[in-house]
Amino acid sequence: MKSHKRVNHNPIARRDFLKSCARALAGGSLLALFGLTIRKTKAKDASCFWQIDPTKCTFCGRCETNCVKLSSAVKSVHAVKVCGYCDLCGGYYRTNAKELNTAAENLLCPTGAIQRKFVEEPFFEYSISEDLCNGCGKCAKGCNAFGNGSLFLQIKQELCKNCNECQISKVCPAHAISRVPVSNVYHLIDTL
Amino acid sequence: MNRFPKPDFESGYVYPQQQFVIPNEVLWSYIDIAVLVFLMGFVTWALIKKQIRWPVVLTSVVSIFYFGFFRNGCVCGIGAVQNVVLTLVSDSYSIPLYLLLLFTLPLVFAIFFGRVFCAGVCPFGALQELVNVKNWKISKSVSTVLGVFPWVYLGFAVLFAVTNSRFIICRFDPFVWIFRFGGELPLILFGVLLLIFSVFTGRPFCRFICPYGAILSLFSKISFRQVKITKKECINCSLCHNACPVDAIYPPYQNKVNEIRSKGVHRILRYVVFMPLMVAAGVTIMYMLSDKISRVNNDVRLYDMAMGNETNHSNVLSLELEAFWGREQTLEELAVRVEEVQKGFRIWSIIIGAFFGLVIALKLIHLSTKRGRKVYDISSAECVGCGRCFSYCPQNQKKIS
Ligand code: SF4
Ligand code: SF4
Ligand code: SF4
Ligand code: SF4
Repeated sequence: MKSHKRVNHNPIARRDFLKSCARALAGGSLLALFGLTIRKTKAKDASCFWQIDPTKCTFCGRCETNCVKLSSAVKSVHAVKVCGYCDLCGGYYRTNAKELNTAAENLLCPTGAIQRKFVEEPFFEYSISEDLCNGCGKCAKGCNAFGNGSLFLQIKQELCKNCNECQISKVCPAHAISRVPVSNVYHLIDTL
Repeated sequence: MNRFPKPDFESGYVYPQQQFVIPNEVLWSYIDIAVLVFLMGFVTWALIKKQIRWPVVLTSVVSIFYFGFFRNGCVCGIGAVQNVVLTLVSDSYSIPLYLLLLFTLPLVFAIFFGRVFCAGVCPFGALQELVNVKNWKISKSVSTVLGVFPWVYLGFAVLFAVTNSRFIICRFDPFVWIFRFGGELPLILFGVLLLIFSVFTGRPFCRFICPYGAILSLFSKISFRQVKITKKECINCSLCHNACPVDAIYPPYQNKVNEIRSKGVHRILRYVVFMPLMVAAGVTIMYMLSDKISRVNNDVRLYDMAMGNETNHSNVLSLELEAFWGREQTLEELAVRVEEVQKGFRIWSIIIGAFFGLVIALKLIHLSTKRGRKVYDISSAECVGCGRCFSYCPQNQKKIS
């Protein structure tokens, strides 16, 4: 009791004492927090990248406009091993195309990012030029509706800024975008 | 889906090879930590040991280029708060180690040396630091009221993170668009506005918005070594008073009302009664709002949409509902999930509400208590360690012998 009183009479000593208590509290809580979380840290398989699950994606078109990048990090990807190499490609031509030629009004892709190359009768090879693709998903939608579904959308990791929270993931109507570990950073149709 | 068979090529066609870049973030993230520690050490040396400003400016430039433009300014320590609290409560989410370090190391430094992270290591602080030229004062009452906001922001950020709904700190980041070369227009405008403000007064974002700064200032209040204007004796010349862009330097102050002890005890007792009242108010308000707030969660919103459509059928389904019915999920499953989410919201709203009440009560108590001061002194909770005041102090000038 006596010593307690003495502390009270000297404001500087009391302040120092309180400060030490606060330091112990702050340090202790920081340590506790660290201890509690460090058990859950994983250096290698922590899921800190973002990827689209193509089986859930409905090609709504929000990937084009909602990425934080001016030109979306989402690009169309073509699984050649799944493709039917059709001449009448549902991802290439519009459904109402009058003639099957490369006039822009017949093509689905707004930027002309899908190119095709004649392989042999009756097959055509399709490929995406990534510089042009804006991630709108129109081709993938067409291919899923009328073809084999070999066109799909993926977040290209070299373009993605790897936001702490992917902006698209929160507006995606299909909840198709989730965190993935580096070991599984692409969800490709032909390997699913 | 295989509507068309795999083609049989006769011309010996080989499938083209496709390349997918696997990111090499793990290595870079540890380089980040090394740079972080080095820069904080450098700033500590400059502010505490040498009392000079140029290393702070240099660090600011390095930080803007390295953490900002080179590493895109994301993830930062400010946003990492959300990852940490989500890890604490979630079974499925796990934080990478470097992110945990990114969050804790500045706090560890703050316990020892104050807000050295804010001095120039944080790219957002650095941006505001470099554009700042004037130090217009903001009146104490205004800055105290605005100073509640970081805590409120922190509370909501934690609430939305633990319920796995959104990371609002990342969503409303006003500066990161600079490093990404693009973003949404409202945020760009907000960021520009903040930068214009920071020309005239120090660090508006740090003082009135940044939730991490709030935590750091709490730690910095009790740090072992604090930034001092001068190591020699203050001669009360008042030259430094206006140097501080964040109004962290307080003039000497004589406590005029020398209140007697019993009176002081009464006052403290009044506060003790007052605090639980504020906490109770916070809890009640937040609990009442919790169902409304839970609409931030995507599942809750989807459920609302689906229910709305049940009662009020419309032929054009929203994209969300189209996707929902397309995946052949039942409303019952969703309802179970939503119930779970809303329960989480209710519990956490209570905790956060109590926190809000506590913060506001403590701020009010802080406003009404004044402590005597004999010399010009830095309030280390507010000091962001820019080092501007050092050169104003005549005691720091070299004596002409
Ligand atoms: S927002 Fe979702 S559903 Fe829409 S295109 Fe992107 S991944 Fe697909
Ligand atoms: S993480 Fe960011 S950059 Fe990457 S796709 Fe999502 S919004 Fe775009
Ligand atoms: S207060 Fe926040 S934004 Fe400002 S320097 Fe500190 S951590 Fe960065
Ligand atoms: S070092 Fe701290 S007290 Fe000095 S001018 Fe900078 S912010 Fe103000």
